[in-house]
Amino acid sequence: MKVLITGAASRLGQAVAAELASQHALRLMDEDPLAQTEEIEVVQGSLLEPETVWQAVRGVDAVVHTGEPPATIAAAGLAREQALLERATRGTHVLLSAAIEAGVGRVVYGSTLAVCAAYPDDVYISERWEPQPPVAMETLSRYLGELTCREMTREHHIGITALRLGEVVVEEEVGDAEPNLLWLDLRDAAQAFRCALGRDTGRAVPWGKRWEVYHIGAAIPNAKYLIDHARGLGYEPRHNFAGHWPAVAGGGA
Amino acid sequence: MKKVLLLGSSGLIAPNIIPALGRYYDLRLADLKPHPEGLPTQTVDITDYDQVLEAARGVEAIANFTVNRPHPVLSFAVSTTGAFHVMKAAVELGIKKVLHTGPELIIHDYGHEFDIGEVPQRPGSGYYSLTKMLGMEICRAYARTYGIQTVCYQFNGLGPKPEGPVRAQDFPPFTITWEDLVQACRLALDIEAVPDDYQAFNLHSYMGQGKYNIDKARQLLGYEPSEPVEEYYRRPT
Repeated sequence: MKVLITGAASRLGQAVAAELASQHALRLMDEDPLAQTEEIEVVQGSLLEPETVWQAVRGVDAVVHTGEPPATIAAAGLAREQALLERATRGTHVLLSAAIEAGVGRVVYGSTLAVCAAYPDDVYISERWEPQPPVAMETLSRYLGELTCREMTREHHIGITALRLGEVVVEEEVGDAEPNLLWLDLRDAAQAFRCALGRDTGRAVPWGKRWEVYHIGAAIPNAKYLIDHARGLGYEPRHNFAGHWPAVAGGGA
Repeated sequence: MKKVLLLGSSGLIAPNIIPALGRYYDLRLADLKPHPEGLPTQTVDITDYDQVLEAARGVEAIANFTVNRPHPVLSFAVSTTGAFHVMKAAVELGIKKVLHTGPELIIHDYGHEFDIGEVPQRPGSGYYSLTKMLGMEICRAYARTYGIQTVCYQFNGLGPKPEGPVRAQDFPPFTITWEDLVQACRLALDIEAVPDDYQAFNLHSYMGQGKYNIDKARQLLGYEPSEPVEEYYRRPT
């Protein structure tokens, strides 16, 4: 497939590109500058610019919408909140509208497991639990982007998979930090996008199946966030922070 | 009298209820454009946080009647980011009551069903309904986090009650009379607390079709249509 990756200059975007490069032709998009190569097409521009987005989606089979904001937006404060909100809502709407018009069949969206973090740690959280997004715009905006995806899928012949990613880190970089139930290795996050691209979301699939949410985390003992649903995609995390978690009898993820 | 900031006070709805609401509240009118009858109005652009914050200083409640329906940019700016600005200002100023409004379109996907009460929102992808739903989700998150008692009304057609018999017409579901909207606004502004700090309500005046029910508004707020306006729509026999 030919795949457009948004937020491609971000660390997650780069990891997803590396994961997909051997199997798919790629086109990368970001507001931030991207390195030009002969093998990979690049579109630099904002999701808020419909003309630029149209150029980006034309001719691709799938879109990986990482949801990663550009590094150039404000680092904090109200301006950052507004920028995140606008990109996650209007930017996602612009992207999906263009994708639908261009006949793109499938989209994978990067949401966050933090929408379920408000639940206490003594419950098992699957996709069946109602999201409880906090007002922190880094999380709330991802949730609103998720809702935008869901509603676009409801009304149009497009399949969208939302991946609620844990807190993306690199296993070798966490050092002796206090372990976090949300930890997800960057490479496993990228793997999840690859697996989700293989999900059948064709025109014969009813809308309730063309839209699907998956929780993506590490396979840790006594996990709070269950990843069984994602395993159905073929997802199997390989970086599970083993040194940080004591083994618990019968408590595998 | 409770001081209330009324955003969108010059739009299609608010001018029709301001005279009645003004008897019960100290209203601070705010809009981008002048009031159609010249009432003093503070110029406030809801897409500008600082303007919303300044307008809300000193009030005890905010009622948000703003909307932009069709525009691909302004609908998000007004209905989604605007809702964010209202809730953020409420937090910053310690305001504990917000009345938010949205269209019946938010649940329009249930158009073929009946006895529709409290149902998950399905706005679809249109600018008007989607951006309003996203704004409501922002309200919900802020309400739960900060204990801001937030009531959101879902309605559609608004207008005066008929002046006489209406022939050869059905009444559209979700229509509400000005009198009943005033009643509902008072209930929302005066109620001390709602479950989970946030509740959305179906709101209308016309019963009889069995399509959208208002049971939740009746039970939680004590809302009741002031008269059976469907009686105006009677076929002579």
